Amino acid sequence: MEDLHIPASNETPEVRFEFSRHRLSMHGESYPENAMSFYGPIRSSLQNYLEKLPADGKVEVDIGLRYFNSSSTKLIRALIAMLDQTAEGGPSISVDWLHDADDDMMLEFGSDLKDEHRSLKFNTVVAEPA
Amino acid sequence: MPVLSVAAATAVTAPGQQKSLAISLVIPLPAVSPSQTNDEVFALFDAAPGLSALPVAEDDRPIGLINRNIFMDSFARPFHREVYGRKSCIAFMDKQPLIVDGGMSVQDLSFRVVDAGGKTLNDGFVITANDRYLGMGTGQDLVRAIAGMQAEKNRIVMESIDYASVIQRSFLRPSREALRSLLPDHLLLWEPRDLVGGDYFYCRRFDDGFFLTLFDCTGHGVPGAFMTLIMASFIDSALREENRQDPAAVMTEVNRRVKSALGQIDHRHKGAASNDESEHRSDDGMDAAFCWVAPAERQLTYAGAHSPLILLRPGQEIELFEGDRAGVGYASTPMDQTWRNHSFPLPPGTAVFLATDGLIDQPGGPRRIAFGKKRLCALLAEHRQAATLAPLRGVILQALEDYQGKDVRRDDVGLIGFRL
Repeated sequence: MEDLHIPASNETPEVRFEFSRHRLSMHGESYPENAMSFYGPIRSSLQNYLEKLPADGKVEVDIGLRYFNSSSTKLIRALIAMLDQTAEGGPSISVDWLHDADDDMMLEFGSDLKDEHRSLKFNTVVAEPA
Repeated sequence: MPVLSVAAATAVTAPGQQKSLAISLVIPLPAVSPSQTNDEVFALFDAAPGLSALPVAEDDRPIGLINRNIFMDSFARPFHREVYGRKSCIAFMDKQPLIVDGGMSVQDLSFRVVDAGGKTLNDGFVITANDRYLGMGTGQDLVRAIAGMQAEKNRIVMESIDYASVIQRSFLRPSREALRSLLPDHLLLWEPRDLVGGDYFYCRRFDDGFFLTLFDCTGHGVPGAFMTLIMASFIDSALREENRQDPAAVMTEVNRRVKSALGQIDHRHKGAASNDESEHRSDDGMDAAFCWVAPAERQLTYAGAHSPLILLRPGQEIELFEGDRAGVGYASTPMDQTWRNHSFPLPPGTAVFLATDGLIDQPGGPRRIAFGKKRLCALLAEHRQAATLAPLRGVILQALEDYQGKDVRRDDVGLIGFRL
């Protein structure tokens, strides 16, 4: 299936889902006015990909967000939940949650996600300052 | 002598004529006919230095446009004048200028002009009525008209938001007055990012105390403001004598009402809803702190939905309580979700703060990361000795602005503080 690449804008992150290489990444900020219209297509292409993933598949995900608004929060959580659900069925999915060393808010959010999604190999990772 | 000018363009716009149509840009410049010579065209250009192009029409139908620079350059070449001077002016004419009907909208026209390339912006375009030559329009007038329309639209939107702001503020008035009369020492920071917003507060007085909430609805701007009015009315009707001392129960009831009213179902039980379906379904809700305060007993009961309570009790470190994680409303919060009450004694001198995430999550600073809870708590603790809380408002806003620096404000900002 085709890779998905959405360049970053002021209000939306760069999304690079390289399905062919099983590497998915999302970087930047997320505060679009209508988060559903941004995340809807991302969610469906991820869904398509995950449905076809074999039980011995291996996926690497990294997410580095500096800011997201409350409506984006829900949708980012939903993406992580989709990954977690898939990982329950066998595939090995690792998620690196990147955050600034001083950004305790982003670390806290990552730690919550880690607690909530036990099937993922979820790591909170200190990102190098850009 | 015809001269392309703004004055001419304005003069011919008949009263009541649609400003948004191409005809509003028409300059009734007399066209030359193919029977006229290049010598005559030269004379026309020579006499009108402002004239950048001359339309050519045959039996009232436009057939081309003579560009001043191209014409003058060609005519200046050796012997051209002698060879072409007495010949028809169509020799140097552009046979494919942009020709539009006067009834075309200015917006469509602007796309046509852009498609036609740079020459049209410079030469102008021909405007017709029933295929008959009416006059010329200039690129400059077109840009001016587009800019004017843009400004007008902007003005209308801003006026509408200004008025929305009046409505949102007037709904806040009873709560504002309740705060003022109940709490001589309080601090209120309500700063919507876009005049109106999704942060809101609500306060109602009872005989033995008061119910105070600060909440943050999904979205900001106008959609956020819609949500605040919906939420405030649900809180207002869910809050009664019987449950006033039980903020968690009020929250549970508000959650049920919101979910029913917005037709929210639980995505988890629904499986993978199609995008089309979920796109039109509301996933709106709020983060909220609900408090019951009984001044006589110096007691506060707090229920939090992803919204913290901060306490500064005398002789103690500043404390931040997170509340429960579930938001109120939202597709992912079950209909039967409950929240927990937490009770705190408020010894004299205790300062209580509620804050939405707008302040805490604002990125800024040298590393462009969130303001953070630690920074907020440190700031509040630093001013714990202040005689009254009100001046802290300015201090917090200043700290936020300093931290934010050149970064843009991301969200509405709301904070309430009080000492009994």
